[in-house]
Amino acid sequence: MYGRVVGISLVGVRGHPVVVEAHVGRGLPSLTLTGLPGAPVQDARDRIRPAVESAGLEWPLRRIVVNLSPGNVRKDGPGLDLPIAMSVLAASAQVPGDRLARFGFVGELSLRGSLTATPGVLSAAIAAGRAGLDGVVVPAANAPEAALVEGLRVVAAPSLADAVGFLRGTWTPESAVAPETPAAPVGHDVDFAEIRGQAQARRALEVAAAGGHNVLLVGSPGAGKTMLARRLATILPALSREEALEVTQLHSVAGLLGDGLVRERPFRSPHHSVSTAGLLGGGSSYLRPGEVSLAHHGVLFLDELTEFRRDAVEALRQPLEDGRVVVTRATGSVDFPARFTLVAAANPCPCGYEGDPRRHCRCLPHRVQLYRQKLSGPLLDRIDIRLTVPRLSKQELLGESLSEPSAAIRDRVEEARARHRHRYAALGSPCNAQLPGPLARREARMSQGAEDLLAQAVDSLALTGRGFDRAMKVARTIADLAGSEEISAEHLGEALSYRMSVGEGGLARAG
Amino acid sequence: MPDDARPTKWPAGFAEGREDRSALLVLSCLRGLTPRKLLEMAARERSAAACLAAVRGGRAGSDADREFAGELDPARIEAALSACGARFVPADSQEYPATLDELADPPAALFVLGRALPVPGAAVAVVGSRSCTDFGRDLARDIGEGLATRGVCVVSGAARGIDAAAHEGALAAGGHTAAVLGCGIDQAYPPGSRALLARIAREGTVVSEYAPGVPAEPFRFPARNRIIAGLGRALVVVEGAKGSGSLISAEHSLDLGREVFAVPGAVHNPLADAPHALIREGATLIRGVSDLLADLGRSGGRDGEPPPVRLDVTLAEQAALDRITGSVLPEKVAREMGLSVPQVIPLLMGLEMKGLVRSVGGRFEPRSRRG
Repeated sequence: MYGRVVGISLVGVRGHPVVVEAHVGRGLPSLTLTGLPGAPVQDARDRIRPAVESAGLEWPLRRIVVNLSPGNVRKDGPGLDLPIAMSVLAASAQVPGDRLARFGFVGELSLRGSLTATPGVLSAAIAAGRAGLDGVVVPAANAPEAALVEGLRVVAAPSLADAVGFLRGTWTPESAVAPETPAAPVGHDVDFAEIRGQAQARRALEVAAAGGHNVLLVGSPGAGKTMLARRLATILPALSREEALEVTQLHSVAGLLGDGLVRERPFRSPHHSVSTAGLLGGGSSYLRPGEVSLAHHGVLFLDELTEFRRDAVEALRQPLEDGRVVVTRATGSVDFPARFTLVAAANPCPCGYEGDPRRHCRCLPHRVQLYRQKLSGPLLDRIDIRLTVPRLSKQELLGESLSEPSAAIRDRVEEARARHRHRYAALGSPCNAQLPGPLARREARMSQGAEDLLAQAVDSLALTGRGFDRAMKVARTIADLAGSEEISAEHLGEALSYRMSVGEGGLARAG
Repeated sequence: MPDDARPTKWPAGFAEGREDRSALLVLSCLRGLTPRKLLEMAARERSAAACLAAVRGGRAGSDADREFAGELDPARIEAALSACGARFVPADSQEYPATLDELADPPAALFVLGRALPVPGAAVAVVGSRSCTDFGRDLARDIGEGLATRGVCVVSGAARGIDAAAHEGALAAGGHTAAVLGCGIDQAYPPGSRALLARIAREGTVVSEYAPGVPAEPFRFPARNRIIAGLGRALVVVEGAKGSGSLISAEHSLDLGREVFAVPGAVHNPLADAPHALIREGATLIRGVSDLLADLGRSGGRDGEPPPVRLDVTLAEQAALDRITGSVLPEKVAREMGLSVPQVIPLLMGLEMKGLVRSVGGRFEPRSRRG
């Protein structure tokens, strides 16, 4: 009276095959789960019997023990409902064993016996492929994402009865087809072509996209900071298939996936009340990826940076540095990829109108100082491009022409990135922003004019060591955009204009 | 001191004897006894000692004042005065500026720290907003410097913003400046101006009608403004929002028949509100220090015009500079020059590094050239 089924549980964003064994033996009717089930898996105990009975199958009224192995890994996620039910059905000889051993099973059951959409199916399908299984049985709603894994048979089962029918050979599923991946990246619902004015900010975002630099936008309310940030995702290079799979996997684990592959660079804009766990990932039982991971390969926008909790902002340093987040719990640690471009926005002062030609700033100087101390700090060191976004008057707006479309800007960005990849092919560095400072300094080829300007800047702008490195990296990106191997004085001059020290000295533009 | 007494609004011999001087020290500490009330009382009682006796006897002043005057020991005030190095200048002394007598409510005495008060006619008051723009600050500095270079004492209130910039300009030029306080002579208020006040005490003059230990209180500042207006032969308002204290100073100046100058701004600039209101009422519009000096008849001054600064401005930078008038967006400069924004940004950056333009809130504006 023994049954054995392969299920897949999630650890972070990765799927791990779990062997689900069931033994139906003598004793009072009961169901015991062993092998470190997490709280959501414990939940399954009461869900499975009604589901099995609703599917017109028999629930053995005997003592049932289900063991999940390996026993040292905590199993989380609702996807184990289906394999547990299958193992019991196998142990009570209600399903034949031949197909059972060659397929993995993932899915959450409802009490009526249907299979409901389950997070993390893509990760599970990848794990099944890696484990050498022939295919996976997944809820029909998750079939498109599972079908993204090449060479894996995907059985899209609407219900438990259908899954059993498939094993018995009485039901044939329609073959699931992965959604087409169009050659051209699909359109975002926003575009730079909708923007009037803000030429300097648009240019700065182009540089940021080309070099992968993080950006700080400072400006009065209504200046258009959010509007600009939202469009940064539209000029980043199109996602490669590997990148798209990574993003899709993360969104699938978070249960946010629409259907199939995510093809647009994500734009995430968490509210400033977000908790550290919400931002970085975590949760008490089932570890979910946080906003930084949902923004993986895309843009993380923190509007009103000063309103965010200090600890949450400080915690961003690790993902900004390593491109991943490690969430540690008593039961082990999990890491989520999180390589994003950060765009932070802030008002210039508490009331928001400092430097605005038409509104008077009413802030007391010490409050402005406190405010700016909040803005500065270690996070700021990782932001290469900082600029002030002016609030335009109606006349100024009407006087400006519309911007060029995102696609045109993206072409230039892709060229600049290709130039970078070619130069640092040996390093495998994806963009200028991630070059280590010493390397950026050593590799910088500057014209005589740029050398002179740099010497001048160190004196007249009181450029610090870090400010120097930032300017070099940004200048390198600007030269890449211009198609030049040498950094000229113009390139460096522009890079220097994207600096701003947000310290006690105020929003002075300095090192 | 009958030998250095001079005619004032105060009765002859009001603060003549030692006893009167001590009494006057106590009277200058009383909160409820405004200079106007003291002047009325002086006309009745004839001497400071008699006035103090009247207050202590309950015939004048508030109850709180009577109580307070009873506790005050003039020797303690004298001690505090010498501790902070200030001197006592009653209305009949030679150092007391005659111009203050033109006020309806002249202070009965002043406390002075540092150099002698400026001679009447050789001082100009410069006032304006505390939360000023960089543009206003530069301008106030230029005006302070220009006045001081030509031997004019710059009078202001040592507040942050325009006041501080005017004082600093005068100090930078090595000239004379006087700070009028709205609190006791030994109080460093506002705290942010502590260093500035210490420097003015060393190189210029700090003056107050309040005795040592009198705290800064809101009602003392409008009162202080009448002294600022009274000390100067003219008043310059650089920036001020609607309802600004600068308007009170200007009011006093007009009452005294002093000339009032105002620096205009953009019409929608809230900080140009007070100067514009004054200009509409007849104040003289000035575009900078040279206008002011010309109107004051001192343009030929001691040192003449400051020498032009030699700067290595490239032709392209000069072309960009010529297009920066007021506060402009970089794309506007680019459009007018027929260049792209990425081409213009390095030019603006170069101009900024050379101190010729400044970036404020994403726009660029010219900076006045200084030697």
